[in-house]
Amino acid sequence: MALLEVSDLHVEFAVQGGSVQAVRGASFSVNEGETLAIVGESGCGKTVSVQSVMGLIQTPPGRITRGTAKLRGQDILGGVAAGGREIRGTDIAMIFQDPMSSLNPTMTVGAQIAEPLIVHRGYSHRQAMRRAQELLEMTLIPDAASRINEYPFEFSGGMLQRSMIAMAIACEPSVLIADEPTTALDVTIQSQILDLMVDLQRTNNMAIVLITHDLGVVARMANDVAVMYAGEVVERGTVDDIFYRSAHPYTLGLKSAMPTNRQGAVQKLTPIEGAPPDLFDPPPGCGYYTRCPYAMEVCEATPPIVFDVDRAHQSRCWLHHKDCLQQVTQIYRP
Amino acid sequence: MANSRTNKHAYVRYAVIRLIQGAITVWLIATATFFAMHNVPGDPLMDEKAVSPEIRKNLQAKYGLDRPLLEQYGIYLSNMIRGDFGISYAQENRSVNDIIREHFPVSAILGVLSIVFAALGGILFGALTAINRNRLPDIVIMFLVIMGISVPSFVFAALGQMTLVNVNAFLGVSILPVAGWGSVSHMIMPSLILGLGTMAFLTRLMRSSMLEIDNADYLRTAISKGLPPTRIFLRHQLRNAILPVITVLGPSIAAITTGGFVVELVFAIPGLGRYFVQAVQQSDYTVIMGTTVFYGAFLVFMVIVVDLLYGLVDPRVRLD
Ligand SMILES: Nc1ncnc2c1ncn2[C@@H]1O[C@H](COP(=O)(O)OP(=O)(O)O)[C@@H](O)[C@H]1O
Ligand code: SF4
Ligand SMILES: [Mg+2]
Repeated sequence: MALLEVSDLHVEFAVQGGSVQAVRGASFSVNEGETLAIVGESGCGKTVSVQSVMGLIQTPPGRITRGTAKLRGQDILGGVAAGGREIRGTDIAMIFQDPMSSLNPTMTVGAQIAEPLIVHRGYSHRQAMRRAQELLEMTLIPDAASRINEYPFEFSGGMLQRSMIAMAIACEPSVLIADEPTTALDVTIQSQILDLMVDLQRTNNMAIVLITHDLGVVARMANDVAVMYAGEVVERGTVDDIFYRSAHPYTLGLKSAMPTNRQGAVQKLTPIEGAPPDLFDPPPGCGYYTRCPYAMEVCEATPPIVFDVDRAHQSRCWLHHKDCLQQVTQIYRP
Repeated sequence: MANSRTNKHAYVRYAVIRLIQGAITVWLIATATFFAMHNVPGDPLMDEKAVSPEIRKNLQAKYGLDRPLLEQYGIYLSNMIRGDFGISYAQENRSVNDIIREHFPVSAILGVLSIVFAALGGILFGALTAINRNRLPDIVIMFLVIMGISVPSFVFAALGQMTLVNVNAFLGVSILPVAGWGSVSHMIMPSLILGLGTMAFLTRLMRSSMLEIDNADYLRTAISKGLPPTRIFLRHQLRNAILPVITVLGPSIAAITTGGFVVELVFAIPGLGRYFVQAVQQSDYTVIMGTTVFYGAFLVFMVIVVDLLYGLVDPRVRLD
């Protein structure tokens, strides 16, 4: 059984004259000590999915209409377990895309790292501050002893993200959700932050849910991958499944849009033509229909179901139907 | 990138710069007051006392009014730097310093109570309306706020006094004195009245500030840490929402000080404001100049204090 298992999540936002179907069927899971990468173009529902799990969606306008999230089999959708037990900050922690605005500007970094320990672990202020310093040292911030008394504006972006990580791991959560944690940072810093996450994952045996739109990061970090498109998870599998046995046309599209740094390879980037559908009025059939090079008649009006391509490898595409006559060589079919 | 020591250093530097700016402002106020006073028609020696030209001459000589203007200005400035505001024309043998010393504390207590009341009320009601946005408490309070901002304080003063008269008469006992000064119970009504307009203004400011940070990323972080709602509210939301309120506290003190003149008159409070109004009616040069400059210096000083206070709450301004 997976450590964290999200199934069939549906989230919508009330807007003028209707609703935006931001997430329309997202299922993903992550095992203890492993990393799940969630990839997809921006606007496809990655952030809304994980924030729904954490109870960070404002309701209204947001509303979770269907789905479950289970941690060790226990229902935790919305960040609270049965009996009202808080799982945020203790079992699951999260870091965000923009570290510059994610910390409280009027509170010292140390006090913010200490907060979960005071609230969830009953530490005294002193104990918590001492631990905060250790946590900052663990995230490789120099001069941690004086740094804990400084304010976020005195930190660089990279150091702020390190501090966010220190804060997130304070209570040694079993899952860390990282929503594009390096997108807002310099390229050189990005790599250091990812290294740090891998290190901490090893020491704490922590599962990581890493949201990114960078397949390079996926290849480097992930055990498993969930590919999202237009509010749905369209393909799930191991990182090798996704890269070498791609089973969904959108995954193929993402791959050919990714720059490679293989020696001698001629860089041939083919961005996916067109734009994702408007989720205010989602198409009746496959969300990828208008952009898919292999689209068939059935795809226009009938939403594809999820096919098991392999054990633990799934694809939401009609090409996998046993009656489908179209053979696409790039699409993996066992 | 700075450590906390350079941080403190920067704060002290900031404080010194603000004080120097303040001193320059006070000098400008003093200069403007001086030349304004010497250009208004009429003078304190024009009333019935100075009937004959001889007496008039003598008096002018006594007060130095026969010297060239610039010389008078020089004497005025050097006296003021030594903290000497001169002698009242209207109340003989009474120095302006004495008047200020005796009556300013009364105005100060009234003002401080009002500003405390206005700030606490503004923060409380502002937060309350923001939390209950578009629900009944919000609608009711925001209606009252519009009244509080648009109705001048002398109307509230009169209404408040009338209400007290009626309530006391109805109950047959005096729950609060109708006018006068001397005990804590004398202070309550006038300071409430005096702070009302500012409180309304601060309520509105606090409300919009709360709503503005409602979607702040750091609040989302606080929720993701699993903090209890009261802690999130107090430590993360309120503290940041108060910042704009603190910035306008300086100017608010000015509003309350000027409003104080009226409230002191209505409630027969022996504050400096009342003396100022009297001095204007009597063209009492030295008292007008002295109190104006004193009030000006006081306000400038308060604005600086508020600025420095702001620097303590918001660490970012210290390095500006
Ligand atoms: N508060 C909201 N109101 C309306 N629509 C929203 C809101 N938040 C997100 N959405 C919509 O949900 C969709 C998914 O957004 P998001 O999860 O942020 O995408 P991603 O993280 O994959 O880039 C987008 O189409 C976005 O416009
Ligand atoms: S279901 Fe049809 S349109 Fe959708 S991805 Fe598969 S082939 Fe393309
Ligand atoms: Mg996102």
